Amino acid sequence: MESVVTKPRSTSRVAPSVLTGIGAFTAVGVYVLVSSVGLGLWTSLGPGPGLFPFAMGGVLVAMSALWLVQELRRPSERSEGIDRGVVIAVGVSLVVLASVMDLLGFQLSMFLFLLYHLKLRGGRTWVSSLIIALAGSVGAFYAFNYGLNVALPVSAFAPLNLIGL
Amino acid sequence: MDTLTELLGGFAAAMTWQNLIFAFLGCLLGTIIGVLPGVGPVAGVALLIPLTLNLDPTGSIIMLCAIFYGTQYGGTITSVLLNTPGEASSAITTIDGYAMTKLGRAGAALTLAAVGSFVGGTIATIGLVAAAKPLGELGLLVGPPEFFALMVVGISLLVALAGKSMVKALISGALGLLISMVGIDPVAGAPRFTFGMDRLLDGVSFVAVIVGVFGLSEILSYRKNAETPLVHAPGMRSLLPTRAEWRRSAPAMARGTGVGFGLGLIPGMTGSVSSLLSYAAEKKFSRFRHQLGKGAVEGVAGPETANNAHANAALIPLFTLGIPASPTIAVLMGAFLQQGLTPGPSLFTEHSDIAWAIIASLFIGNLLLLLLNVPLVGLWTSILRVPTPILTALILLFMVIGAYTINFSVFDVFVMIGFGLLGLALRNLDIPLAPMVLTLVLGPLMERSLRESLEISQGDFSVFVNRPISAVLIGLGVLIICSPLLKFRKPKALTEDPEA
Repeated sequence: MESVVTKPRSTSRVAPSVLTGIGAFTAVGVYVLVSSVGLGLWTSLGPGPGLFPFAMGGVLVAMSALWLVQELRRPSERSEGIDRGVVIAVGVSLVVLASVMDLLGFQLSMFLFLLYHLKLRGGRTWVSSLIIALAGSVGAFYAFNYGLNVALPVSAFAPLNLIGL
Repeated sequence: MDTLTELLGGFAAAMTWQNLIFAFLGCLLGTIIGVLPGVGPVAGVALLIPLTLNLDPTGSIIMLCAIFYGTQYGGTITSVLLNTPGEASSAITTIDGYAMTKLGRAGAALTLAAVGSFVGGTIATIGLVAAAKPLGELGLLVGPPEFFALMVVGISLLVALAGKSMVKALISGALGLLISMVGIDPVAGAPRFTFGMDRLLDGVSFVAVIVGVFGLSEILSYRKNAETPLVHAPGMRSLLPTRAEWRRSAPAMARGTGVGFGLGLIPGMTGSVSSLLSYAAEKKFSRFRHQLGKGAVEGVAGPETANNAHANAALIPLFTLGIPASPTIAVLMGAFLQQGLTPGPSLFTEHSDIAWAIIASLFIGNLLLLLLNVPLVGLWTSILRVPTPILTALILLFMVIGAYTINFSVFDVFVMIGFGLLGLALRNLDIPLAPMVLTLVLGPLMERSLRESLEISQGDFSVFVNRPISAVLIGLGVLIICSPLLKFRKPKALTEDPEA
C-alpha cells in the first residue's frame, strides 16, 4: 500500500537517481529509434514494423529531455529510497529459485526458498517454518498438479525424480 | 432476442454449480486480497490468472471478475478497523470509518459499507445490462480508424489523469507500448526487440510483467520490521446499524452511486477519485456534514458505494467498446484475450452466451459478497494477524507459480524478477504505473488498428481526420494531452489520487 500521507524531503539539487533514470530512458529511446529504422518504417504495402516503435522511441527521448529540463528548473522532492537489504534478499533468493527450479524440481526448491524466508529472514520458529514450507511446496505441488491440472516442474535428477520430487 | 431473455439465459448459465463455486471462490480470494495491505487489485487479479488457466472461458472470467470486485469490498475492512486502507480506493473511508470504530460502531460501519457496496455494484450492473445492446451495436459501426482514435482518447485520459506529471505518465505509457511490441510483428511477421532469443518471439508474458511491476515491486519496497497490527473484530450483535443510521445512509448511497457510476465510465478515472469526490459531495450536500470526520455514517456509506459503483461501471466500456477504463480492467481484458475472447461489440455477437453469463454473475457475486463480508468479518481480520514474513513468503510463492504456469517456463519467472526491479525503480522515480499496464494491453490492438487504417487509406494519414467520429476523437485526445499547455488545472482529487 502506497503511503498517502508521508511528505518526502525537498531538495535543491537534482537527485542522482533521477539523473540515472533520465539517462536510462534516453538510452532506451535512442536504441529503439535506431532499431526501428533497421526494421523498416515504411513498405510498399504501407506502414512497416518499425513505424510504431519509432514513434514510441521518439516519445521516450522527447519526454526524457523534457523531464531533465523540468528537473533542472525545479528539482523534484526526493523519494524515501529503498531498503537495499530487502531488495537483495528477495531478489537474489528469487533468482536462485528460478535457476534451480528445473533442476531440483518445484517441491524441493520452493521448500528451501520458503524456509529461507520464514526461518532465516523472518525469524519464525522451526516448527511453523517447516509446516508452512512443506504446505507451500509439497502441498501447492499436489494442489496444482492434481486439483487444478496445472503441472509444476519435477526434478531433472533421476534419484530425486524417483522419490516423487 | 431481447435483453431480458438474454440476461435470463445468462443467469441460467451463471447459476450452474460450477460457476457458482467459481464466483464464490473469486469473492473469497478478492476479499482476502482487498484485506491485505500491499497486494493491490491489479497484481492480485494478475497473480490469480493461473488458477483459471484450465477452466472454461465463462468460469475463468466469472472468477476473475469476482476477484476484482471482491477486492473493493475487502479494502474497507482494514480502513474501518485499523485506519489502514486495504485498497487505495478505500483510503477516504478511514476518516469516518475509523472514527466510528473508536465510538464502538465498527460493526455498523462495516455493515453499511457492505450494503452500500452492494447497492452501488448492483445499480452499476443494471446500467451495464441497459447499455450493453445499444452501445454494442454502436461499437459494431466502428472501423479501424475510429477504433484507433477511441484508444488514443482512452490512453490520453489515463496519461493525463495519472500522477502529478504528464511527462512521467507519457514515459510510463511509451514503456508499456514498447514492451507490448516485443516479439513477432503482427502484420509483416518480422521479429522485433527479441535480442535473438527464441523465447521472446511470442512476446513478453503479460502476467509475468504485471505481477512483477505491481506485485513484486511492492514487496521489494517493503521496509523491515513492519509490525503485525493488533485488530479486534466486532461481535455479531454490533453489526446491525440503528434505524437512524440506515436513514442517514440512504441519501449518501444514492449520491455515491451517481458519482461512482458516472466516473466509472470515464477511462483513466480510478475508484479513489470516485470515493474522494463522493466524500466531497457528502461534505457539500449531507444534512449531517458538520459530523463528517467525527464518525458520520455518510462518510462511510457514500465513498464505499461510490467505489463499487465505479468498479462495476468501469466494465461497461470494456464489454461494449473493448476499452479498459482502469489498470485492473486492463488486466481483466488480458485474461479475456488469453481465453480467446475479445472484449468489445463482437463479444455480444460471437460469444453472447458467455457475455451474458458473466454479466449475470456480477449480480450473483455482489450478493455473495454482501452475505460473505459482514458475517465473516472475524475471519477477514484474522488474516491481518498473520505475521508479515509468512504473508510475504506466501505471496512470493503465488507470484512464482503465477509467472511459471503461463508458459510453464522459468524464463517467465526471470521476466517477473526483472520487471519487479523495473517497477521498484519506477516507483522510486515517482513514475505512475497505471499508464504502463493500459498501454501494455492495448498496444498490439492499437498498432494493428493504426496499420489497418493506413493500409485502407494506402498510407494517407488523413484517414483519421476525414472520418467524422475519428476526427472528433483524435481532436479530443490531442486536447487532453495538450491540456497542461492550456493551463487547465487538475482537480485536487486527481492530483492526490493514490492509485495513479
